[in-house]
Amino acid sequence: MAHQAHAYHMVDPSPWPLTGAVAALLMTSGLAIWMHFNSVTLMSLGLVLLLLTMYQWWRDIVREGTFQGHHTPPVQKGLRYGMILFITSEVFFFLGFFWAFYHSSLAPTPELGGCWPPAGITTLDPFEVPLLNTAVLLASGVTVTWAHHSIMEGHRKQAIQSLTLTILLGFYFTILQALEYYEAPFTIADGVYGSTFFVATGFHGLHVIIGSTFLAVCLLRQVQYHFTSEHHFGFEAAAWYWHFVDVVWLFLYISIYWWGS
Amino acid sequence: MFRHMIAVQQVARRSICSSARRQVDNKVPQKQKIFQEDNGMPIHLKGGSGDALLYRATMALTVLGVGFTLYELVKASFPQKRD
Repeated sequence: MAHQAHAYHMVDPSPWPLTGAVAALLMTSGLAIWMHFNSVTLMSLGLVLLLLTMYQWWRDIVREGTFQGHHTPPVQKGLRYGMILFITSEVFFFLGFFWAFYHSSLAPTPELGGCWPPAGITTLDPFEVPLLNTAVLLASGVTVTWAHHSIMEGHRKQAIQSLTLTILLGFYFTILQALEYYEAPFTIADGVYGSTFFVATGFHGLHVIIGSTFLAVCLLRQVQYHFTSEHHFGFEAAAWYWHFVDVVWLFLYISIYWWGS
Repeated sequence: MFRHMIAVQQVARRSICSSARRQVDNKVPQKQKIFQEDNGMPIHLKGGSGDALLYRATMALTVLGVGFTLYELVKASFPQKRD
């Protein structure tokens, strides 16, 4: 076997970028077909292809790192840069929705009654379920940090317990938020209040689900002895993402739930 | 008498431990052997026949998907009334 004279990782040719791009094509075209012709087939096909791509792509990365040893320190540095840049791009994504919220709420138009919250909108009490949700996510930030220290100190059982607790807190948040959505006295169609509320909190909720999934994969990997006390970047990436989700919620809570009520 | 007490304690501890949860074995060394084998297989097929099956299914959906998309887009481009 030819050996490389450098510490970097020249990946094997892979079909997953192509299948991922096709999945994006199918999902976007499928969205248009759904909007105009009431058929979800194309979009669903795209979603299935996306899930297959994600599973196999990330499975291959685990193989390359944990089983083949390709994730040397310089490679891991690149992965860290990558995750940080990705999270930064997500910050900008949410920034847009916060911009929209402040644009409409700082100078409420006459159509809204010249006030915020707009006339006719019954807002949610920020000191009920939203406050509980804040506590749940803050607690999950503590448990994920506990999990990290457990991994670094080689405490396998504690790492599994704290990581499981983090994921359960994530599920609890999601369930509470789903119930809030169901019980809310306003909908997404209720003017700019409804739009900004549900789009901003909705995308946040989606990110909670994504983050919980990432943590669940880390739990499976921790159980299967993939992580060492020195090398567990997959977990660190998940923890960074989870903290980001928590911080976005804090901004949402303060801006939309509290100031905006 | 003291030895018997210790023995009971140990047995009690053992039976509680083993019934609580089954142990997951560390299979990482075996996986490392499989994936470091010099067989020229690319990473996405190196795990065995399961990989090949999943790859073929994914590729089939990819090709079919592109075809279906082009068909739907061409169909949508013409002024036809839909039911």
